[in-house]
Amino acid sequence: MENIIELKKVTIDYNLKKYSLRAVSEVSLPIKKGKVTALVGESGSGKTTLATSILEVISSPGVVDSGEIIYFGDKVPFDITKLSEHELNAFRWKDVSMVFQGAQSALNPIMTVYEQFEETYRVHHHRLPKAKLVKQAKKKTIELLNFVNLDPDRIMPMYPHELSGGMKQRVMIAFSLLLNPKLIILDEPTTALDVIVQGYIFKILKRINVEMGISMLLLTHDIGVVAEFADYVAVMYGGKLMEYGTTRQVFKEKLHPYAKGLIESTPSLLSDIDQMKPIKGSPPDIRNLPHGCVFHPRCDFCMDICKTIEPVDHMLGDHLVKCHLVEEVDAR
Amino acid sequence: MSTVKRVLKKVWMFLFQFRYFFMKLGISILTLCAVVLLSFILIVNMPGTVIDSFAMQLSIQRRISMEQAMILAKQMLNYDPDASLISRFGVYIQQLLQGNLGISIKNNAKSVNLILKELLPRTLFVSSISLTISFFLGTFLGSRTTWKRNSIGSKLLDGYIVTSNAIPDYIIALILITVFAFRLGIFPNQGAYDAMILPGFTLPFILSLFFYATLPIMAYVFSQLSFWSMQMQGSALGVLGEDYINAAKARGLPKRIIVRKYLKRNAMLPLVTQLAISFGVMFGGAPLMESIFNYPGIGLAFSQAIVERDYYVVQGILLFVSVIVIGVNLIADTIYSIVDPRIRRSA
Amino acid sequence: MNDTSAVKYNFIANLLEKIRKFFKNVVRVFFGNRRSAFGTSVIIFFIVLGVFGPFVFPYSTDISMLDQLLPPSWSHPFGTDLWGRDVFRQIVAGTSDVLAIAFLAAIFSVVLALILGMFSGIVGGVFDKFIMFLTNVFLTIPSLPVFLILAALFTVDNAVSFAIILSIFSWAGMCRSIRAQIISLKERDFIQICKVMKMSKGHIIFKELLPNVGSYILINFIIVMKNAITGSVGLMLLGVASFEPTNWGAILTSAKNNGALINPNSYMWLFAPILCIAIFQLGVIVLSKGLDDTLNPRLRVM
Repeated sequence: MENIIELKKVTIDYNLKKYSLRAVSEVSLPIKKGKVTALVGESGSGKTTLATSILEVISSPGVVDSGEIIYFGDKVPFDITKLSEHELNAFRWKDVSMVFQGAQSALNPIMTVYEQFEETYRVHHHRLPKAKLVKQAKKKTIELLNFVNLDPDRIMPMYPHELSGGMKQRVMIAFSLLLNPKLIILDEPTTALDVIVQGYIFKILKRINVEMGISMLLLTHDIGVVAEFADYVAVMYGGKLMEYGTTRQVFKEKLHPYAKGLIESTPSLLSDIDQMKPIKGSPPDIRNLPHGCVFHPRCDFCMDICKTIEPVDHMLGDHLVKCHLVEEVDAR
Repeated sequence: MSTVKRVLKKVWMFLFQFRYFFMKLGISILTLCAVVLLSFILIVNMPGTVIDSFAMQLSIQRRISMEQAMILAKQMLNYDPDASLISRFGVYIQQLLQGNLGISIKNNAKSVNLILKELLPRTLFVSSISLTISFFLGTFLGSRTTWKRNSIGSKLLDGYIVTSNAIPDYIIALILITVFAFRLGIFPNQGAYDAMILPGFTLPFILSLFFYATLPIMAYVFSQLSFWSMQMQGSALGVLGEDYINAAKARGLPKRIIVRKYLKRNAMLPLVTQLAISFGVMFGGAPLMESIFNYPGIGLAFSQAIVERDYYVVQGILLFVSVIVIGVNLIADTIYSIVDPRIRRSA
Repeated sequence: MNDTSAVKYNFIANLLEKIRKFFKNVVRVFFGNRRSAFGTSVIIFFIVLGVFGPFVFPYSTDISMLDQLLPPSWSHPFGTDLWGRDVFRQIVAGTSDVLAIAFLAAIFSVVLALILGMFSGIVGGVFDKFIMFLTNVFLTIPSLPVFLILAALFTVDNAVSFAIILSIFSWAGMCRSIRAQIISLKERDFIQICKVMKMSKGHIIFKELLPNVGSYILINFIIVMKNAITGSVGLMLLGVASFEPTNWGAILTSAKNNGALINPNSYMWLFAPILCIAIFQLGVIVLSKGLDDTLNPRLRVM
């Protein structure tokens, strides 16, 4: 299975005036081509930071401190972090696009939907003569809006605030397809929406993945969505990658205590509410991360070694787990 | 429902729809009343000596007796110490509603309306040009420097802003006129245009107008540029935090487009109401600035009238300027709610 | 030690501790960062100059036409004016007047805004609406013209009368902000808790609400000081107010009216008060920025 993106020991810091916050610490993660990779974690686990680093649009003052992000496109693979501003602008949206969290304010409030579509198209096709460009842009926009089941004639002249949440999200999904990207990053695409709209949106996303073969990186903290939709799962905690594998591997084997905890804390229609087990404790303070394994204060299986020594990445075939438990089992 | 009730209901719905506008209108009118009251208090406090000297002036000019002059003076100035305050207020209101702002005591009973008509365009000329330049240049500089906080341009702008805030505008004016008008003799030190040129729509005259207005405009712009840059920086900082800026970056839009169409335009919106307030502030500063430059606008007329105790000119200009400022504020408020599509089109 | 003296001892110890904490806070706020330190130093410098300067550099109004318009020298650092009087000593003598104007005007404005703003926010109702209307009026009407009128009607010749007139306009904006802050604070949790715990109104006002608006008041106090100087000098230049003849603005006006604009020999006479005004204003502005940094911390971008 080919990779479309390979993150290699990526470390991202937020450089504030008086101190630095390490939001992401040495994360190495492949994103498989044509598949859906879910990136799971609580708020503050660093998943948004990591995802936005792929497009180099980390919220200021975040910077990639070290590591590489290799992109395997049509041409020779290159490191995204080494691109110039000019090259980045060509790369953005064309190879990789993104649907932001809370698309509520991802659009310019004083431009209509169509104006923004056309603007992006124009910037990426600046060599085309104007008339041809407008024609192409319009055609593509109409096509995409239809694909997400929106009426183009109605939506194109509208201003962002006139759209409902679900409509806005669909517009953003259509927008992300404008330049035929190879990978779409979706940051919690349905968090602010109700369950019915959620199902609807995921139907569209599934179509995009299956029909168009577009790879997806899906950020979410909803385990149910992961189970149903994702091919691969990456679990992040405290800025570090805790576990990575196929959905089946991670869900069935439940190797890492955190992932296990997440899966078991999901309410299910079938079992009693008593059987639901939340993870004790609260998310870590990034300024003051625990020593040893970042998760140890909340871990039911915490051993002495977990409190002092950080576990290494242990590979069981393709399955990556960052836990002392696995090493122990393996050693036996 | 009876017809009356139906009509009333329609009126009520109309009022309700535009209730914000009507509320603002109401406040504006009340503010205006307060100003009228203030003017009236001013007039009422006119000491009797003013009447006497005016009467004396009249009697000499028109060759009439003092008694006749006194009667005439009292009539022209609407001055009647025997009548009650309320009736005098009534007369005053009546006079105002007729559009009569009174006469200038020191200036041969010249109508204040006439004075305003002559001098207002000059003040407006300087004010509007200064405001336009400061606004557009300031918002441009402000938005550019907010995006790139550590550039040389940003530091220069910050330094300039602090300096400009420390030195009041009239001191800048003093420095400008001392250096450029008196010392170097490049610019004129009084007047609105070259007295040798006939007023009219001719090129020499128009050029002369600009030439004589250069120093005042420079002084205003130097002071106000910092204000607009700061306002823009503040507004732009807020906009920078919005998601759509980052989203635009993610789409590969180049920096110059983001700064112009996403940052600057969105950050400018809240500044529109500030524009109106600035207009008022400039009228306020005019008395001092114009007196330093000896620029014959209503500001100069106002400060001279204060010193000469020309009461009617003072209240006339005050009322007029207040009406303009209140009106402009109201319009700006309304325009803002129209221009911002978020408010305009909310269902 | 018996009981009463133990109680007394504790009380004094507590009090001393509170005073110590207070001073520590003051130092932190006023000297905590570079800007505050600079601004505070400038102001303290002028205060010292104003209080002790006249003793060190006494100024006499004797006229000496021989020494007319001398250029700067060791005995006359800022030269002399048209009547041979030392400009530097005039400035030193006038410092106290300038400071009095600044502080008094700021005190009057802030107190007025605070009282009306807090009442407006706490009491609400018709009173509130009326105050809001007043602030609207005062914010809309261009202030300088009305200033001039008031200055002409009521002779302004000392710091107190000027302070009163200046505060008539300065209070409006502050009052609105304070009221807005009070209103938003009123609804916040910790006030509700106080109400539930039935703490007295006085306690709520002084111990909970006031400290929160405190930082805003401090910063605006400084800003009003700056506006007071600007306004007073402006009035002097227009000839509608006359303070001490040694007030910097008066020196400036005197210079302007006696040909300083035209005569290069008088430039120093004109420039000296401008310089002092500019430095003072600079200190005030930088201090207000520094205070803002300290009291309103924001997540700073590098």
